[in-house]
Amino acid sequence: MHFETIVDTMSDTQEMYEIAIIGGGVTGLAAAMYAGRMKLKTVIIGFPPGGVIATTDWIENYPGFISISGKELTDKITAHAKEYNIELVMDTVTDISQQNGCFTLQTAFKQYSARTILFATGSQHRKLEVPGADTYEGKGVQFCALCDGPMFAQKTVAVVGGSDSSAKEALILAQWVDHVYLIMRGDRLKAEPVNLDRVEASDKITIIPNTNVTHIEGTNRIEKVLLDKPYQGKTDLAVQGVFIAIGSYPLSDLAKKLGVETNEKGEICINRRSETNLQGVYAAGDVTDTEFKQAITGAGEGVMAVFQAYKYLGGQPVCTCVDTDYLDCPAAPENLRNPPD
Amino acid sequence: MTEVPSELKDTLLERFDRDLKNPVRLIYFTQELECNFCAATHELIDTVAGLSKKISLEVYDFIKDKGKADELGIDKIPAIAVVGEEDYGIRFFGIPSGYEFQTLVEAIVLASGSDNGLPPEAISALNKAVTKPVEIQVFVIPTCPVCPLVGTMGLQFATVNKKVSIKIVEIAEFPHLAVKYEVIGTPKTVINETITFEGLVPPGQFINHIQQASQGSPTGISPTI
Repeated sequence: MHFETIVDTMSDTQEMYEIAIIGGGVTGLAAAMYAGRMKLKTVIIGFPPGGVIATTDWIENYPGFISISGKELTDKITAHAKEYNIELVMDTVTDISQQNGCFTLQTAFKQYSARTILFATGSQHRKLEVPGADTYEGKGVQFCALCDGPMFAQKTVAVVGGSDSSAKEALILAQWVDHVYLIMRGDRLKAEPVNLDRVEASDKITIIPNTNVTHIEGTNRIEKVLLDKPYQGKTDLAVQGVFIAIGSYPLSDLAKKLGVETNEKGEICINRRSETNLQGVYAAGDVTDTEFKQAITGAGEGVMAVFQAYKYLGGQPVCTCVDTDYLDCPAAPENLRNPPD
Repeated sequence: MTEVPSELKDTLLERFDRDLKNPVRLIYFTQELECNFCAATHELIDTVAGLSKKISLEVYDFIKDKGKADELGIDKIPAIAVVGEEDYGIRFFGIPSGYEFQTLVEAIVLASGSDNGLPPEAISALNKAVTKPVEIQVFVIPTCPVCPLVGTMGLQFATVNKKVSIKIVEIAEFPHLAVKYEVIGTPKTVINETITFEGLVPPGQFINHIQQASQGSPTGISPTI
């Protein structure tokens, strides 16, 4: 199933892919691997390589690996995907459009065309919206304990958030810092039981529940955070760093631009086949409205999306993107073939 | 820890055998006293040099061989100049251990004249962006998993354009530079002492920063609090 007729009609510089996967994390890479196995002409465009999970210290819930670093896992999946004939592009897609049933993707250096699209764009760390957070971002307000933890050796830091990710950040930081305050608005840490046990066993981590950080203050460096209720009788807490782990938001702007349906959180709505509301457009992983967002579930959704794209492409006659007879092509969307009067 | 695990050695043997095109010299600067990581760094690159006949190790004393150090722009130790058939200006300061070991391997492969992996469009954009010498400093720490991505991009640029040089600095070993450049998180990149950015950026954005630095534009400097 190759579409030489399409390629032939494209310009020399713009190849036509059967599937373009946007996002280079576990979800995108797993999908690319399957697309390669299905001999779909595939391009995967993603940056950073490996996605957010590559910055995770250890992963203990990916089948086949009792414990593996995020970087090592994504390196292995990347190497596996590259075993097949796929094109891996380390870049970000800055714009996307659809015309006549074909998709055009723009990166910093090049344009790509594809018959189907898989959004595996993932999510991005949510920022803490309090005074001082912007001012000190990258200057004490940080988002990666693994990257920045050693810079806070022998210091006291706060981790803001009450999730499993927050627990992991605190545990990583505890390797270097004097003390970690884990500040959360809920009444308990919603971590995986194994990580909860580790946090509770650490004498370097103190949980401050039912509390919000309202300000981050200092002069040249962070000196303290202000709390909305007293901790040990005071509403200011001396820290030299603040690590934010309050969840993430889906990177769905490109999909929205294309007209893909999203929910109130901005997550792409998909069905069990990873299909979106648009024909030939699929989504998988953290960017979607699925409830349980894990590397393994994202990989599964990505693979399902590729299978659906494979069937879609195989079941559709080929239309060229620049074909003037496009509207006569059975693969053209119904509303284009029979425009309303 | 500087010992290279046997499994990794096997991987490197295969990688160097496949990807090293021309000979590469690791020119190492050290001194016996007052250098916490010199011995460990020496041990590490000695192991690496033993993995391919195309890699050679030359060892110089930072004080006694000051002329050589000056010639290669070495102003602190431990330092490694990775030099291929030509000197692309690739320098490591501090021990390239942890995730940074990967950057050292990439530096050796790239300095050997192996394919730089950049698409033609990126090379063209870089060459247009660079109008005068560009010095890239990337501040890293060994536990930072994304640091090698920035460092490797800088290495690719340095091997593509002779006006670009790169210094990869393990910042925990040089706290005075952490103060000078306000390095609190890694990776942090400083270009020509004027343009700075933190974290990971896509290649196009990196080239834009190089262009600004090459043009002497102060845009992109982190605001001082």
